[in-house]
Amino acid sequence: MDRRHFIGHSAAAVGLLAGLSGQTRAASLQKAEILVIGGGYGGATAAKYLRLFSNNTARVTLIEPNTSFISCPMSNLVIGGSRTIAEITSPYDTLSKRHGIKIIKDSVGSIDADKKTVTLASGKTLRYDKAIVSPGVSMNMSTVEGLAQANKDGVTLQAWKAGPETVALHKQIAAMREGGVFAISIPEAPYRCPPGPYERACQVANYLKQHNPKGKVLVLDANQDVVSKGALFKKVWAEQYAGMIEYRPKSNVIGVDAKNKTLKLEVEDDIKADVLNVLPQMAAGEIAIKAGLANANGRWANVNFLNFESTARKDIHVLGDAIQVAPLMPKSGHMANQHAKVAAAAIVAELSGWEINPAPVLTNTCYSFVNNREVVHVASVHQYNAAEKTFKTVPGSGGLSPAPSILEGIYAWGWAHNIWADSLG
Amino acid sequence: MRVKYLKPIVVVSVLLGLSQWSALSAAQTADQLYKRGLAATCANCHGTDGKGVVDGGMPLINNLTSEQMLGKLKAYKSGALEGTIMPQIAKGYTDEQLITIANQLGKKQ
Repeated sequence: MDRRHFIGHSAAAVGLLAGLSGQTRAASLQKAEILVIGGGYGGATAAKYLRLFSNNTARVTLIEPNTSFISCPMSNLVIGGSRTIAEITSPYDTLSKRHGIKIIKDSVGSIDADKKTVTLASGKTLRYDKAIVSPGVSMNMSTVEGLAQANKDGVTLQAWKAGPETVALHKQIAAMREGGVFAISIPEAPYRCPPGPYERACQVANYLKQHNPKGKVLVLDANQDVVSKGALFKKVWAEQYAGMIEYRPKSNVIGVDAKNKTLKLEVEDDIKADVLNVLPQMAAGEIAIKAGLANANGRWANVNFLNFESTARKDIHVLGDAIQVAPLMPKSGHMANQHAKVAAAAIVAELSGWEINPAPVLTNTCYSFVNNREVVHVASVHQYNAAEKTFKTVPGSGGLSPAPSILEGIYAWGWAHNIWADSLG
Repeated sequence: MRVKYLKPIVVVSVLLGLSQWSALSAAQTADQLYKRGLAATCANCHGTDGKGVVDGGMPLINNLTSEQMLGKLKAYKSGALEGTIMPQIAKGYTDEQLITIANQLGKKQ
C-alpha cells in the first residue's frame, strides 16, 4: 500500500468511526476544533468565554490580523484630541497567556462550509468543528460615487474602524484652515454604532471650540432624524455648540468630488467642506459575505438567536455588527460582547450534550461623550422571546440619561476599562 | 500492512474514550453553565466574574455579599434606589434572574 492509499483508508476508517459514534463525537467538547475569526468585541470575548465556560477544556484558536486591539468606543475622543490612541489600545496576548487560546496573526481568505475548513490569507488551511465569525462591518464604498478613489487619494476618511485612520482624521481636523468646515455624512441605518456619528460631531466641535473657534461642523444625515439619543444631542448642540454644529436630516450623500472637496447630495445642492468624513452604507464584514452568510438582503447574517448559529451554514456562528439584528438591538461593541457569551455558552452546552439555554438575556449600554468630560447613555435589556424566536426589549426597562453629566463620564471610562478586561484580559 | 491500517482506529478509539472520561470529570453541570452565562451579562461593566477593574471608574460589586447584592438589585428594580443605568437595567431582569445573579456574583463568606 502506498502512502496515498494508506491515508485514504485511514480517513475512511476515521470517518466510519465518527459516523458510527456520531453522538460521542458531537458531544466531545475537548476534541472539537473551534476557530474564532476576528478579534473584536465579539470574537475576543467568544474565545475567552469558550475557555472559561468549558473550564479551560475547549480547544480555541483566534484568527486576527492585528497585533493589538484598538477600541472603536472611545475612539471619537482621539479624533477630538482629548485622548491618545494608546489609551484605547489593549494587547491580545493576555488571551493566550492567561486563557490558553491559540492566536494566529492572519486574516481569513475563505471558508468552505461543506468541508468545514478555513483558508488563511497566508494559504494555510485549518479544519474546524465550530467556526465563530465575528468580522465587524465592511464599507459599501460603491454607494457613494467617487468615494473609493477619494479614499485612495487620502482626501476622505471613514475612521469607522479605530486605528491609523482615527489618528489621521484628528490630524486633518487639527490642520484645517481657520474657519474651515468639517463635514460628516451618515448613511441610512442600520450602521455600526448608532450614536457614534453624533458623538463625533460633538468631539470635533469640542476641539474646534478651543483651537479653531470659527470652524464649523456640518452633519449630513441620510436618516429622517438623529438615530440615537436625539433629544439629548440636539440640546447639547444648542447649548454647548450653538452656531458651530449644523445638523441636516434627510441629506443623503451620494457622491464625492475629491479634487474640489465637494459632496454631492441626492436632493440638495453640492456642499464644499475642508475635511470630509464620509460614511457609506455598511454591511457585514467581507468574509461573512464571501462565505454566503449574509442571507439578509445580501448585507447581514441571519442567525438563530439561541446560539447565534448562521441560518445559512451549519456550525458557523456569527456575532456582533455583522448579524441581522433583532428589533431595537444596536450594532455596538457591548452588544457583540453579549452575543459572544450567549454563543459561547450554547456551544459549550451543545458539545457537552446538554440542552442549550432556552432563555438567554442580553443587555446593552452605550455611553456618548458630548465634550471631553460629560456623557449621556442609552441602555436596554433584551430577553429571548421563544414564541417569536427573537430578542425583545423588556417593557419599562432601559432608557436614557436625563442630561449629560460628569459622573457618567467617569462611569463611561469605568465601562471601557471593564469591557476591555472582560473581552481581552 | 494490516496493523498499519488498524492503527488509526485504535488511536481514535482511545481518544474518544479519553474525551468521554474527561467530560465526566469536568466539574460542571448544565445548570452551572446557565448561571455563569446569566451572570456574565453583568461583566461588561462590572468585570469578569464580578471582579471589576480597581480604580477603573465603575463601582465595584465584589465587596457585596449575595444578600446585599440582591437587596440592591431589587431596590433598583422597584425604584427605591436611584442610579444612572442600574435602575434601567434591573427592570429588565426577572426576580428569579436577579436571585441567580446575586448568588453567582456575591462575595462568598
